[in-house]
Amino acid sequence: MKEGLRQDRAGSVFKALRSLLPVLVILALIAAVPLFSPSNRFLSLAISAGINVIALYGLSVLFGQTGILSMGHAALVGVGAYAAAILARDFGVGFWAALPAAALASAVFAMIVGIPSLRVGGHHFVIMTFAFGQLLAIVLTNGGDYTGAATGLDLAGPVTLFGADMSDLTRYYLMVVAFVTSAAVASWAIINSSYGRTLRAIRENEKLAASLGINVGRHKIGAFVVSGIFAGISGVLLAYFLGHISPSQFSSFPSIYLALMVMIGGARLIEGPLAGGILVAFLPEVLNLDPVQSRIVYGVCLIAVIMLLPDGLIGGIVRALRAAFSGKPKQETQQRGAAEAQR
Amino acid sequence: MSPILAISGLSKQFGGVTALAGVDLAIEEGEILGVVGPNGSGKTTLFNVVTGVHRPSGGSVLFRGQDITGLKPHAISRAGIGYTFQQAMAFAGLGVLENVQIAGEHVRARADSTANPWPTPQALLDFVGLSAVANEKAGVLPFGSLRLLGLALALATRPSLLLLDEPAAGLNDRETTALVGLVRQLPGHGITVCVIDHDMKLMQMLCRRLAVLDFGSKIADGPTEAVLADPKVLEVYLGGDL
Repeated sequence: MKEGLRQDRAGSVFKALRSLLPVLVILALIAAVPLFSPSNRFLSLAISAGINVIALYGLSVLFGQTGILSMGHAALVGVGAYAAAILARDFGVGFWAALPAAALASAVFAMIVGIPSLRVGGHHFVIMTFAFGQLLAIVLTNGGDYTGAATGLDLAGPVTLFGADMSDLTRYYLMVVAFVTSAAVASWAIINSSYGRTLRAIRENEKLAASLGINVGRHKIGAFVVSGIFAGISGVLLAYFLGHISPSQFSSFPSIYLALMVMIGGARLIEGPLAGGILVAFLPEVLNLDPVQSRIVYGVCLIAVIMLLPDGLIGGIVRALRAAFSGKPKQETQQRGAAEAQR
Repeated sequence: MSPILAISGLSKQFGGVTALAGVDLAIEEGEILGVVGPNGSGKTTLFNVVTGVHRPSGGSVLFRGQDITGLKPHAISRAGIGYTFQQAMAFAGLGVLENVQIAGEHVRARADSTANPWPTPQALLDFVGLSAVANEKAGVLPFGSLRLLGLALALATRPSLLLLDEPAAGLNDRETTALVGLVRQLPGHGITVCVIDHDMKLMQMLCRRLAVLDFGSKIADGPTEAVLADPKVLEVYLGGDL
């Protein structure tokens, strides 16, 4: 009996590890890209995408696991970025020390926003986060010299790792890939833990979750705080990459983009944030679109994904593969997809 | 012996409507108590006030001598009161086994839990007869199985008192009989049961003692046969003299 239990546990750990493998393989391939001497433009774009993906992993814990949609996620990234810039300017704090500090700042900001906002559910919460995001941009714009007003702040600190300068594009790229990997592993660990199960229970049915002893309110705020930690780290990487940050980068439009990316990629599966971040960053480049055209394309993509692939692109692909390999009639999976969409 | 749950003077008003008008009810350790009454008599309000969905307007609820009046639903569950809903509920998008795992992960461990381990999620699925669908999504289960899963979820929270709100609603005769068979076993495992329903046939099968609510007040309480012969109860159910 005990033996069986141990085997069961080993089996489930193995199954969980197997779900992490595809992401690790893809990230290993991505890390090998500098071998093909890509252009600086490509590397810059990839670094921006990677920084977004880190924030997206936080958003996927909130939206994919807990079922709470935030339209203010960029504001949490902004708190991390401004924390890094202000710490460097006023206290001479460097990149590595800024990471935990900024993560904490974003987490605290998330808690301050989350406690009043999460008293309301669903669409109301979306509007609240939208409002807080806009509010932060207004505060930063009117913060005078302290926040650099509309011009923003410069950040000219070097990023070193074991004495090596990481500011070079290729090295920064590899570092961001390492951070993306950590974010993916952290998100995977959350999904496969009892904590992740608790969050999914809340997503599925709050009333039932409460009846089983789950403190729904506290866990919802907790998930928001966790998403803030990811966002804060993403903000530090962004601030040090760009060397200059301004309020408009963290207002509601960037937040909507983040939400869009996580929905297009698929929020529930570990590959989703990675796919969404890369796709949205490179789509205009590949299709050679100007900003107005790309917005139209994103909009169309989002509507298409919501209508046809409720689990996002990755969810859709996984389902198609499963259907193909198990030889199940395609109709059934489609029906199930439609039923899920209706819910 | 003092009752496991002592409800005294419990009242609830929704605006000007009195849903509960000072109900006294004691649930004794180890029994299966039935609370009956016509629609709108306050049964579900009683259930909702005890489980923390609504705050009572007055009165108190003592669980094993501890005041649990007005606690939040999750705190009630953690105190050791399990409950199932009128609408069969499960985490539809999650696996059947995962449902039960979740339910068992938020209990405040009982003092005797090491000496007397609680059944595993798998064992609970065996108990309600759902182990064959353990890996299915809960959302694809037929209604009767969903009710049984709801029972397994409530049992996974290690309750010493289980409140069932219309557990057989929507079940066919065969499913109802199976459910009755399961619920009857619970007192033997140290779980006191309180069933809220208006289905007299079910109540006669399950309960030795009945309490009857009408317009938010208790009008009868006693052994099932005596209560069913009570003229006041007959009037409520059959509409006065025959």
